[in-house]
Parts: sequence; C-alpha cells; structure tokens
Amino acid sequence: MFLALLANLGLGPAAGEVSLDATLVQGLLRRDVNAFEQLYDRHSRHVYALVLRILQHAATAEEVVQDVFLQLWRNSAAYDAERGPFVPWLLTLARNRALDHLRLKSERQRRREDQTDELPPVAAAPEYERELDERRRVERIRSLMGGLLPQQKRAIELAYFEGLSHSEIAAKLSEPLGTVKSWIRNGLLRLKEGLQTAS
Amino acid sequence: MNIHMANGDQFRELIEAYALGALDPQERASLEAHLAAGCADCAKALDEARWLVSQLAFLAPDAKPSDMLRGRLLQTVRAEAHATKSAKTAAAIPFWMWGAVAALLLFTVYTSWETIQVRKAIDATNEQAKQEIAKRHELGEELAIAQREAIILTDPRSVKIAMPASSKDMPKLDAMWHAKMGIVVTGQKVPMPAGNRTLQLWLIPKTRGGKPIPSMMLRPDADGKFILLVANPPDVMDATKALAITEEPAGGSLQPTTKPIWVGAIS
Repeated sequence: MFLALLANLGLGPAAGEVSLDATLVQGLLRRDVNAFEQLYDRHSRHVYALVLRILQHAATAEEVVQDVFLQLWRNSAAYDAERGPFVPWLLTLARNRALDHLRLKSERQRRREDQTDELPPVAAAPEYERELDERRRVERIRSLMGGLLPQQKRAIELAYFEGLSHSEIAAKLSEPLGTVKSWIRNGLLRLKEGLQTAS
Repeated sequence: MNIHMANGDQFRELIEAYALGALDPQERASLEAHLAAGCADCAKALDEARWLVSQLAFLAPDAKPSDMLRGRLLQTVRAEAHATKSAKTAAAIPFWMWGAVAALLLFTVYTSWETIQVRKAIDATNEQAKQEIAKRHELGEELAIAQREAIILTDPRSVKIAMPASSKDMPKLDAMWHAKMGIVVTGQKVPMPAGNRTLQLWLIPKTRGGKPIPSMMLRPDADGKFILLVANPPDVMDATKALAITEEPAGGSLQPTTKPIWVGAIS
C-alpha cells in the first residue's frame, strides 16, 4: 500500500513500482487473490496491447492474456525478483505466448514446438536503465524507435511482432539476408545507445 | 585477429537477434552451443539484449482488455485459491483416515504402556540383581574375614594372649595375634555395656610412659558372644606390652575413660 502511494505521488517512482511488483508476486506464492488482482490491474493493459498487436484479433488476444495471467498465477515461483524487474519478464512471457499462438496456425509451429510451455528467463535491467514511470517509458521507446531508419524499424517490428527470422524477413522484404541482419542489429544497437544517452 | 577472437565476435554479433528470436535455425543452434559452453561475455550481453527487446513491447498501440476478461480471470483464480485452501485443510487428516489415526493412537498408547511395564520389570530385575551382588559381595567379605580369623586362630605362628578380667564376675577373654594377619579377640557370656556404650580395644605400648593406642570397638551379641578381628593393628606386636579392653562411650574414645576390664600381657 505504502509503496503504491509512493509511486502515485511520483516519489521514487520505479523503485517503488519494482518493489511493489516483487511484493505482489510474493503474494501469489501464498495464493493471495488480492495480490493477483493488483498485478492484473497494473499490467494487463500493456500485456493486452502487445498481444493484440501480435495477434490482431481481440477475442484471441484476450484468450492469450488470460493464459498469460493464469500462468503467472500458477507459476509465480518462476519469477525471481533478484534476477531482474518484473515487467520485462511479464511482457516477454506475453510475447512468447502470443507468438506461440500465431505459429499454431502456421507451418512455423515446427520451429517452436519445444518452447510452447517454457517460461522466459528473467533479464536483469542494464546499468543505464532509468527508473521511469509507465507513461515516460512508453514515450521513450516510441521516440527512440522513431529515430531509426524506416527499414531498421520495419525489420525489427517484423521480428518482434510477427516472430519472423532473418531469412523470413529477407524474403518478405525481398532484401538480402546480410542486409536484414545489419538492419536489425544496427537498429537495436541504436535503440540501446539512445537509452544509454537518455539515462 | 586470432580465430578464437573472431569466433567470439561472430557470436557476439548474433546476440541481439537471438534475443529477438530472429536467428535462423542453424545460427541459433550454433549460438546456443556457444552459450552452453559458458561464454560469460555473451551471457552478459544476452541478458542485456533480452531486457532491451522487452522494451519493444511498449511500441504496441494502446489497448484495454474487456472487463469480462478481468471477471473471468478473477473467478478462475479465486476458485483455484479456494481449492488450494480446501485441499490443504482436507489433506491434514481426511475423514476416512480418522479411524486409522485413532487405531494408531491406541496402538501407540498400548505400546507405550507395555513399554513402561517392561521397563518396570527390567528395573525390578536389575534391583534384585544388585541386591544379590551386594549380598554376594557381603558374603565374600564375610568369608574373607572368616578365613582371616581362622588363620589367626589356627596358625602356629600366632601368639596367644590370655585376657583375664579385673573382676571375678566377668568372663575371661582370649586373643590371638598373628604378625601378618592381625589380632582376633573372642569372648563369651560378656555382658552388654549399658545404654549405647561400647567396649574398646587398646594396645598398651612397651614404651615407658607411652599412652594406650586406641583400636577397634566391639559389642557382644545377645548371647554375650563376640569375635573381634583387627586386620591392621595400629602398632606391631613387638612394640606392644599388653592388650586392654575398656568400656567407653558410643563411638569410642581417644584415650581410656574407664579402668580396663580386661588386660592381657603379651609374652
């Protein structure tokens, strides 16, 4: 409660939010429904937005979001707060589930069958990561992405939101494989530089 | 640039795409093998790249899920939480197990009672054995005393000491002194000292003006009989002039408090 109040007042924002998320996840281990409710209310919009962007179908997106949060409820022990922040882990989980669902409808299923139920590893936040509130975080990444070359942005979006590989993107864009590899790598490195500079 | 470094750089260049999930199968397998081999630099870079890729989620256009989704989800979660709680409560001791638990409890109580009884029996046996051992020990000691007495009384090397009474009403006592085994004094029809007073043996030294040396005390039995063994006399026979017996208070005295009733000179 106290940490949520801190976050709402904009005092020591993300530190409070990060701690609150970790505390709420601990509550899931104790089967605390209230903790689950809070986590859902805090993060369901971003999870749903991401999954909807990937699946492009509201009903299916809601099914996947439900699966994601139920998986969180049933496997909360898989998240280790010591390893890294909660939100990136949750969003990665959501993306993976959405892409799995996408691939179930296509022949690309054969590539990811062994990872259907795997939970993603928790990634540590880098040193340059700033503690921003939700709105600023969204603004930041969208702004940085807007600064990329269109082809870099397109290639990254195809990889991220459609789960395409280098070869598949190269085929889709009718571009050389090496070129696509460079676009994606350089685009991500520019994003990283932008985040480091902003911090 | 050496091959090792070239290979390391080559893998390093794949990290971001791997985190994105964009690597083709062959490159992915190759990098995973490299990571499995324990490349710390690549592992660190991958951790950072995963976080970076997760930020791309915020590019998705804003959207809000329906309230129905929230409702369905919470309903499921509440049901599972309740089921977990019930399962925990039920799992403690299911109804059908009460009979088994009761039976086990009874068995445990009976076994404990039986154990206590057995333990008591063992303790009683141990106590009995102890008593037997003590008795045997006592008997052994008595036997040893009797054997010593017998030697003193029968060994030709023992010196016989007659101890006439100072009063005609009193019986004569006899003493035998064996230089190695000790002194035995015997008496019959000896009157019991009054109250809790006792008879005490003294060694009268040959030394001129030497004080009587206190020795053991004795009380005759109901029949007036006694046999006194002094296994370790306080002085040697050669230094002793006579044996004397006086009546003393209970516990004896350091020096005679009465006139000797019996005196036996050692020749």
